[in-house]
Amino acid sequence: MNAAEKTRGLRGWLDRRYHLTPLFDFLRHKEVPLGTHWMGWYYFGGITMFFFIVQVITGVLLLMYYQPGEATAYESIRFLTTKVPFGWLIRSMHSWSAHLMIISLTLHMFSTMMLKAYRSPREVTWVSGYLLFLLTLGFGFSGYLLPWNKLAYFATTVGTNIVRSVPLLGSWLLEVLRGGQDVTINTLYRFFAAHVVILPLAFVGLIGLHLLLIQRQGMAPPIGEKIAPRGMKFFPSFALRDVLLWLACLTLLLTLTVFLPYGPGIPGMDWELGEKANPMAPAYPGIKPEWYFLWEYQLLKEFPPHLFGLEGPQVCLFLIAILFGIWAIIPWLDRRAYHNKPSPAFSDFGWAAILFLTYLTLTGWDIGARGASSELAAMHNVARVCAWWTLAAGAVVIVVRYWLYEDRWFFLAGAALLHVALHGLVGMSYLLAGAISVVLAGLVIATSRLVGSRSGSTGSN
Amino acid sequence: MRTTTIILAAFLVSFSAIAAEQNFAGASPKLAEMLAAKDKDGKPIITPEQQTYFNGLNDNLKELLNQAVQKETISRPEHLAVLLALGLRPQKMELVLQNNCILCHSDSANQSADTLFTVAPAATTPASHMNLKEVVEDVHFRRGVSCAGCHGGDPTADLGHDFVKEWPEKDRQKNRAWVVQFCARCHSDPAMMHEFNPSLPTDQLAKFKDSPHGRTLLEKHDDRAPSCVSCHGVHGIRPAKDPQSKVYAQRVPETCGACHADPKIMSGFTRADGSPLPTTQLAEYRTSVHGQALLVRGDLGAPACNTCHGNHAASPPGVAQVSRSCNLCHSANASLFDGSKHKHAFDQHNWPECGQCHGNHTIAKTDDSMIATGPGQLCGDCHRQYAKENPECIKTADYFHDTITKMDQARTGFISVSEKLAAKGLDVDPINNELTELGDASKKSRTYVHSFSRNTFQQVAAPGEQAVKRTDALVKKASEEFKYRQIGLAVSIGLIGLLMLAIYLKLRQLEK
Repeated sequence: MNAAEKTRGLRGWLDRRYHLTPLFDFLRHKEVPLGTHWMGWYYFGGITMFFFIVQVITGVLLLMYYQPGEATAYESIRFLTTKVPFGWLIRSMHSWSAHLMIISLTLHMFSTMMLKAYRSPREVTWVSGYLLFLLTLGFGFSGYLLPWNKLAYFATTVGTNIVRSVPLLGSWLLEVLRGGQDVTINTLYRFFAAHVVILPLAFVGLIGLHLLLIQRQGMAPPIGEKIAPRGMKFFPSFALRDVLLWLACLTLLLTLTVFLPYGPGIPGMDWELGEKANPMAPAYPGIKPEWYFLWEYQLLKEFPPHLFGLEGPQVCLFLIAILFGIWAIIPWLDRRAYHNKPSPAFSDFGWAAILFLTYLTLTGWDIGARGASSELAAMHNVARVCAWWTLAAGAVVIVVRYWLYEDRWFFLAGAALLHVALHGLVGMSYLLAGAISVVLAGLVIATSRLVGSRSGSTGSN
Repeated sequence: MRTTTIILAAFLVSFSAIAAEQNFAGASPKLAEMLAAKDKDGKPIITPEQQTYFNGLNDNLKELLNQAVQKETISRPEHLAVLLALGLRPQKMELVLQNNCILCHSDSANQSADTLFTVAPAATTPASHMNLKEVVEDVHFRRGVSCAGCHGGDPTADLGHDFVKEWPEKDRQKNRAWVVQFCARCHSDPAMMHEFNPSLPTDQLAKFKDSPHGRTLLEKHDDRAPSCVSCHGVHGIRPAKDPQSKVYAQRVPETCGACHADPKIMSGFTRADGSPLPTTQLAEYRTSVHGQALLVRGDLGAPACNTCHGNHAASPPGVAQVSRSCNLCHSANASLFDGSKHKHAFDQHNWPECGQCHGNHTIAKTDDSMIATGPGQLCGDCHRQYAKENPECIKTADYFHDTITKMDQARTGFISVSEKLAAKGLDVDPINNELTELGDASKKSRTYVHSFSRNTFQQVAAPGEQAVKRTDALVKKASEEFKYRQIGLAVSIGLIGLLMLAIYLKLRQLEK
C-alpha cells in the first residue's frame, strides 16, 4: 500500500487522524500457531465470546420488560413470555445461551489446561480467564433468582445457605448476600444489581484484559516448540472460520430455543416459570442447584456433620477453596511446562479433575435412583451406577491417551478412578475412599520418582 | 477420720434429698405425710407427676385437700393418688373436692366393685359406666347439678343416700320409660334450662313422644326402644359438638346402627306397609357418597342419619318428605325438579322424588350413564315402561347425554393438548381460562338435567358449547403459532446456511 492510497477513502481519513497503519499491519501479520494437536480447541474461546455477546443483547432486551419487585418480577417475566411478541424467544435464548456459554467456557478452560497454554509467559491470561470463569458462575447464580419463581427461590435459599459455613464470617456473609436473614425481595434487588451492573462491569474489564493479552502475546504454540512450526493467518482465515462457527452456534441456539423453550428438562437445566415464589411455603424435597454447582452440592452431602473438631461443611468449603486455589496457580506449579517441556503429570491432573467432577455431578443428579425401595437403597444404587459410568469414561480416556497421545503417566487419573470404585462399588465412605486414593497416589508417585532418579543416576554413571 | 467425714456427708446429702422430696408447700403435716407415703416395696404411692400436679395447685385447692384429709373423706394415700391422677383443671378439681359423693365413691377401700367409680381406662366391672374420668367430664358435672342433680341427696353432707322420688322403686332397669320423664324435669323446663344453657331447645320430650321411638317406648312399653341415655350415654354425657360425644356427627351412624344394624333388636319392627324393617342401612350408608364424605373424608357438612330423619323426632320420611330432606343441601336440583314435568308424574305414581333415581341409604356418586336411554339404563328403562307414548322424552334424554358427554370429552382432550402446547412454550393461559368455564358449564348442565326440559338445560349448556368452540379456536391458534415458529426457524437456518456457504466459498477462494 503506497502513501497516495492512504490518503483516499475512509481508511485514509481515519489513518490520518488516528495512525492506524501499525494496527492494520499487526493484524495482517498476525498468525495462529498450528501444531500436532487438534486446532478445534482454539475456537472455544471465540464461541464463549459469541454466547457472551448473545447474553448481552438478549439481556438488554429482557431488561426492557423486567421489573424487579415483589409484585412485578414474576409477573413481568410472565407477561414477557406470554404476551410480548418474541418475548419467549428472548428469554429462552438468554437461558440456553447461558448454559451453552458455561459449557464452551469449561471446554475452553480444560483445553487450555491440557495443552499447557497457561505456561510462561501467559500466566496472567490464565488467571484472567479463570476469574472470568468464576464471574460466569456468578452470572448464573444471580440470574437464576430473578424470575422470582418457586424453583429459583428454593434453589437460591439452599445455595446461599452454603455461605453460612464460612468460618467466623459465615452469618455476616450470608446477611450481606441475602440482604437479611432469609431470602427475601431484598435478595432479589441485590442479585439484580449484581447481575446487570456489578458482574457485567467486572466481566467487560477482565475480558478486555484477557483479549489484549492474547493479542499482545499471540496464541500459545504447541509445547516443546520455541516457535510454531507453521501458522494460519488470523485475517482472514481464522477470523472467517470463527464467523462460520458462530453462525453454526446461532443455528444450534435457535433450534434449541424453538424446540425446547424451557431447556432439556433435566435438573438444574429447566427454566419453566411455574409458580410464583412464596417465602411462606414449605421447601419441597429434591431441590437441586444448577448442574454446574452440582458437584459442590454433592461434595457437601458427602461430608459428615463434624470432622477434625470443625463442622463438616466448613471442612468441605475449605477443601473446595484449596481446589479452586490450586487451579488458579497451576501456571506456577507446573515447572516442566514452565521450561517448555511436556508435563504429562499435569495433563493427568486435568483428567483426574474431570473424573472427580464427573462422578460428583452424576451422583448429585441421582442417576440410577429410580425404582429403589428406600432412600438408603437409592443412595447405594446411585453410587454404584455413577461409579460404573465414571469408570467406563475413565477407561476410555486412559485407552485413548495411551494409544493416541502415547501418555504413560496415569497416577492421578488412576487415583480418581480408585476413589470412585472404593466409594461406589466397595461401599466405603466417600472421604475414607478419597483419603486412601490420595495417600496411595502419593506413595506411588514418590516411589516412581525415587526409582526414576536412581535409575537416572545409575544411567549417568 | 476421712471415712467418717464421707459417711457424714453421704448422710447429710441423702437426708437433704429426702427433706427436699417431702417439701410440699401448703400441705398440712397429715397431707404431706400422705404425699410422701411409700408402699411396702418402698416405692412412692403418689407418683412424681402427681406430686408435681399437687405443687401446681392453688392455695384454695390445697386447703380443700387439707380439709378433706382432716375430715378423713380422703384417708389413704392410694385414694389421694386416684384424685391427683385425674389431672383436672382448677375449677373442676374444686367441684370434686367439694363433692362428697365423688370423694366417697372413688375410694376403693369403702366401695364394692359395683359402687366404685373406677379409673381403669377400659373397666369391665358391673358399674363400668361409672368411670370416674367420664363422670368428671360429663356436661352435667357442674355446680348445681353434678351427682345430686339426678341422684338426689346432699353432696356436702357426710353420708346419706336420699334418692330422688321420681326414680321407680321396682323394675327401674327393665322399663326405661321413666328415664325420658326424668331427664325432661330439667330439659323440658325453659326456666331451668335458661340457667345452664339458654340456647338449648326444650322440646325434646314433645318431639320424642310423637316419634316412633317415643311411641314404642312410652305407649307400647317395649324396652328395646331407646330412651335419652341410649344415644347420649349415662355418665360422661358430652355436648353434641364434642368429637367424643356419642351424638357427634361422625359417631351418629354408629350410635343409630347399634340398634338399627342389629337384626335381633330390630326383629318384629315393621314399616308402614307392614314389611319388616331392614337392618342394612348402616352398611349401605357407609358405602354411599354421603357416608364416604362424612366418615372417610371427615366432611362434617355431609349428612348423617339425623340430617334426614331428625333427632328426637326421628322417623322415616314419608314419600313426600324425602325430597325435602334432600332439598336441605341440594336445593338447586330440587327446585328444578319441582318445576319439571316429572314432579307431576312422580306424584301420580307416589314415587319419592330424589330417591326414585338415586336411592336412599346407598346413594352412589352419579354417573352420566344414568341419563342414557339404552337397555338397562335408568332413563331408558323407566320411560319404556311408564311413558311409551312419548318418544320426545327419549330424544331429550339423548340430547342431555350427548351434550354432557361431548363437553366432557372435549375438555379431557383440550387438557392434554394444553399440556403439550405448554411444554412447547406456548401461552396456554387463555385456553385454561376457557377450560375452567367449560368445566363450570358441564357441572351446571348436570344439575340442570333435573329440569327435564331441553330449553332450561340449553341455558347452561350453551355457554359450555361456546367455550368448546372458543377453546378449539385457541388451540388451533396456538398450534399455528408453533408452526409459525418452526417456519421462522427454517427460514432463519436457510439464510444463516446461505451466509455460511458464502463465507466458506470465500475462504476457499482466499486460501487457494
